[in-house]
Amino acid sequence: MKAAPFDYQAPGSIEEACALLADAGGGASVLAGGQTLMPLLALRMSQPFVLLDINKIPTLQGVSRIEGATRIGPMTRQCEALTNDTLAGRLPVLVQALSHVGHHQTRNRGTIGGSIALGEPAAEMPATAVALGAVIEARSVRGVRRIAAEDFYLGPYMTVLEPDELVTAIDYPDWPAGHVTIFREVAQRPGDFALVGLVGALVLESGKITRAGLAWFGMGPTPVKARQAEAALLGQNLDGLDIEGLAALAIADTAPFDDHHATAEYRRTVGRRIFSRTLREALGRKEAA
Amino acid sequence: MNAPGIGATRYIGQRVPRKEDPRLLTGRGQFVDDITLPGMLHVAFARSPIARGKILSIDTAAALELPGVHAIYTNTELAAIKVEMLSFYLTPPTVPITPLANGSVAYVGDPIALVIADDRYIAEDAASLIEIQYEEEDPVVTISDAKTGAPVHAGTDNNIAAIMGVEEPDEDLEAILHSAPCLVTHRVTHQRIAQSPMETRGVIVTREGAEELTLYITCQSPHMIARYVSLALGLPDTSIRVIAKDVGGSFGLKNHPWREEMSVIIAGLLFGRPLKWIEDRVENLTSANQAREQEFLVRTAFDANGRLIASHGDYSVNNGAYPQGADCNIAVHMFMWAAYKMPAYAFLTRGWYSNTVGLAAYRGPWAMESLARETALDIAARRLGLEPIELRRRNLVTLTDQPLTTPFGIPLGDITPAECLEKLLETLDVAAFRVEQAEARKQGRYLGLGVAAYIEPTGSAGSIATMTGELAQLRIEPTGKVTATMSTHSQGHGTQTTMAQIIAEKLGVAYEDVTVFEGDSSRGGFSPGAAGSRQGVIAGGATIKASELLAEKVKTLASHLFNAPVESITIENGMVHIAGAKEMTRSLRAIAEIAYGEPARLPPGFEAGLEAQYRYTPPPMTFTSAAHACIVEVDTDTGFVKIQRWISCEDCGTIINPAVVEGQIAGGLAQAIGTVLLEEMSFDARGNPTAVTYKDYLLPSISDIPDFEYLHACTPSQSVGGIRGVGEGGAIIGPPTLVNAIADALAPFGEVPVELPLTPVKLLGVIEGRSLAHKAPEPVAVAAAAPLPAAAPPAPPPSAPSSAAADGMWKMILSTPMGPQEMKGQFITNGTLLTGTLFSDVGDQEFEGSITGNSLKWDLKVKKPISLTLKYDVQIDGDNLTGKVKMGFFGNAKLTGERLP
Repeated sequence: MKAAPFDYQAPGSIEEACALLADAGGGASVLAGGQTLMPLLALRMSQPFVLLDINKIPTLQGVSRIEGATRIGPMTRQCEALTNDTLAGRLPVLVQALSHVGHHQTRNRGTIGGSIALGEPAAEMPATAVALGAVIEARSVRGVRRIAAEDFYLGPYMTVLEPDELVTAIDYPDWPAGHVTIFREVAQRPGDFALVGLVGALVLESGKITRAGLAWFGMGPTPVKARQAEAALLGQNLDGLDIEGLAALAIADTAPFDDHHATAEYRRTVGRRIFSRTLREALGRKEAA
Repeated sequence: MNAPGIGATRYIGQRVPRKEDPRLLTGRGQFVDDITLPGMLHVAFARSPIARGKILSIDTAAALELPGVHAIYTNTELAAIKVEMLSFYLTPPTVPITPLANGSVAYVGDPIALVIADDRYIAEDAASLIEIQYEEEDPVVTISDAKTGAPVHAGTDNNIAAIMGVEEPDEDLEAILHSAPCLVTHRVTHQRIAQSPMETRGVIVTREGAEELTLYITCQSPHMIARYVSLALGLPDTSIRVIAKDVGGSFGLKNHPWREEMSVIIAGLLFGRPLKWIEDRVENLTSANQAREQEFLVRTAFDANGRLIASHGDYSVNNGAYPQGADCNIAVHMFMWAAYKMPAYAFLTRGWYSNTVGLAAYRGPWAMESLARETALDIAARRLGLEPIELRRRNLVTLTDQPLTTPFGIPLGDITPAECLEKLLETLDVAAFRVEQAEARKQGRYLGLGVAAYIEPTGSAGSIATMTGELAQLRIEPTGKVTATMSTHSQGHGTQTTMAQIIAEKLGVAYEDVTVFEGDSSRGGFSPGAAGSRQGVIAGGATIKASELLAEKVKTLASHLFNAPVESITIENGMVHIAGAKEMTRSLRAIAEIAYGEPARLPPGFEAGLEAQYRYTPPPMTFTSAAHACIVEVDTDTGFVKIQRWISCEDCGTIINPAVVEGQIAGGLAQAIGTVLLEEMSFDARGNPTAVTYKDYLLPSISDIPDFEYLHACTPSQSVGGIRGVGEGGAIIGPPTLVNAIADALAPFGEVPVELPLTPVKLLGVIEGRSLAHKAPEPVAVAAAAPLPAAAPPAPPPSAPSSAAADGMWKMILSTPMGPQEMKGQFITNGTLLTGTLFSDVGDQEFEGSITGNSLKWDLKVKKPISLTLKYDVQIDGDNLTGKVKMGFFGNAKLTGERLP
């Protein structure tokens, strides 16, 4: 299949990109790494009037430190993030999740921001942003907005981003050194979207859980924050954890559906199992350390 | 490993580097889309978005106005050139098939119009502007829809595409089954598989000269394409040149051109400029013919010791709307129990039309027999408390049991599945595994061992019109190098390598000095190419014979030139030696220069040059045997299967190149793993395909495939060279091996229903003991239709029966397992005595029989393809006749006919 006709524009700056988006009046698609958009164009499932290529905007790339957070430029390639020392030290679970995003070849082009802005509910990056409490910066000619990741997603491939807005940064708040990471993905083949996925982080102080961020992917129309389980974990002693009860609470926030690959009931059943297994393993690892 | 009669070998049996690899691995292969011709235009199709309906109107006006669009053809325009679509057997199809939709559509993706434009982008833009209005009808999607739904094809009274076997229960067999100590009733459901060649279908058509047609087409044999197109279009094949240098996989799909390819060819003839169509992946997943959607209910009876007593099979296969040959897959039943000591087997086998894309052959088209049989055996073993291997030992045909003839008339002389199994067990310690399995279960880990054994017919020739021998044409060029022009064709098979190995070995030249040409119908002779695991066996034999003829020619000439006895001459590494006369050694080049350029020095009657050819036709069937074992672990939290180990032990006779053999087995096993765990071409109730990209149609990737272990048994076959075919085996034996391993792992939870693919959802359901499946779908709306009439056509009303009404010439069509066979019959009646002659392609046969009223009965003995008595039972109604022919164990075939003037 070949894409339907479109105009191609490749601005060199954020300002220029925002101006072009405003001009396009909602008819533009933003091309980041293209690992999803290009197939959608070829399938004619996406037929924009304007393809706005942001690969030539240098200020959208790279990882930096800001006050209390790590900032990832949306055009940072997934392969670069995978080997970035700052991310390895500050956001180990993000790096762990990245190794499940697509394949070696697709990660050479695919970007962090592209995956987050696309909003595939079974993808790793949106759920990781939700779990870690990331904030997404969006710009337009109208100004700058900062949106909590958990408020960013509306449905499959639907976000609160306005048609004239461009994601310009993703800020991940600091998690203390030595925090517990949680990651488990059940996918039919390596690189596939998850049938069930769980990502998150816990902070332990003197045997008590003082901070928890957990999110599901593949378990509803958007990444799903496990709010009830997070709340129940806070202040708990490791010894007395009712892991099965927590798993049930974590599942209670999900809204999985039937699709070609698995059923909602499968996702709930496996979700409960992997929640328990992953939490046990993560805490066991912590205790052994 | 040595080929028999060859002695110490330098090349046969060696893992020489493949001649194809340098060009393929460096991106210099030549596939259809690599070709660009001057003035070439591009084609895209407008296709049906609905599964079934009448076409009310087609409006191409807006599309034609798009700049860059040259023409749009529908079936009406294409009809300017007469075309007769043919089946796989080159026989007419059982229902009318046109290249583009003819007034109605029968599946989602049915091609309706063809756009010719400057490039593919514009062609697709224009295709989307064609406005087509439909009167939508309720589709027949599944086999069960087909059994009760309205006929897919006008003018038919049910959806049976093909039927063989016996519909009425055999009371004796039923009694045996029901009184047996152990009766396993086993229902196997096989999903539909999308053929997924890396290179999708594609064709370039160009007219060169007044009557000439050149096609670049991805296919399984350029010769077969030329023959098909010649017959379909009524053109002489001398005017058709088909070029297919490299082909990126096929698996059966590209046996012959189908609707899209024929549309483009006809459009090219009409339009006059070169046209290119490359199937895109969505088209490939929705409109390229598919395979395997089957249901099989097998009942198998065992005595208390696990010995087979009797079996019955009820089989159905979804043919889609336009199969590449209406098929009820008789081979499933021929090979179901062929390698086992099975006293009694009966079956009913049916192919069903539906509003889905049509059926094509797919690597081991009859593989369902191995899946059903080998999984049934394991269920029986669990019930009887026997190790599955022990159950097989008690029932497999061994070498000491042979020769024997199966109930289907298949002679077995050298099958070795039992011996392969024993050889496999030298590498696999089953007792140790059972200990490990028991220990693991205590820790909540579920390991399983699966074993399967089978035989497959390979290298078939002489049984079907298209299955011919193979031709090898060899030359020692004046340069002393060797070229071969072969009838073979590779879609990854490596025939340029294996045939060169044989030539180097048999002629006594360096492998590097041999070049094999194929892939062009203007070179070499006819063969169907890669189909039925045949090229190694047949072309291997042809190449051996041609090499021997050529070596003899060299020796004859050298003998004359050097005045030495022929027996004293040897050819080694491109040098001709005379025993005891080292100084007389000459290069092949020196001999060749004389052979081509100095006629005066040649012996009397010696044909100048060094050329030889041989067309080899092997025995009708050459069997390959194998036993495989696989060990898996099933994750009981997720239902995921991890393959830990896989051992293959095959007997493909003489091995030309072990790397090529192992590549074939690995490729088949990869498809088997996809079949069992991942792949599923499914449709919703309206016939919409639900897996139209590789995001949803899950192929196994490299990380899903374990490192296979290979054992080779190497019992030479009866064919020249002792080779047996190996192209399909992995795809046949792989599925039951893996299913058995999974079933063994999950045995503590109960039996695993064999409903492929065994997705995590299904396996976790077995583990949990409850269904995790989708909620019940909405009831499928099937067009109201009268239920099928029960069996047998209604007896025609007696219309003043008179025996004399039968006398005369009749044209008859018999629906056989190899497609419809046309013949003529002459009947002469005398009271109740009937005599007559049948005239057909296989010759004339006389018979005697009886006539009662308007009912005729006679028997006919045939020898080919196997010994069989055909019992004709025919009713005459005026100028028409209908009836059935009982074909021994093949069951009944339908006969229709009409009186000739």
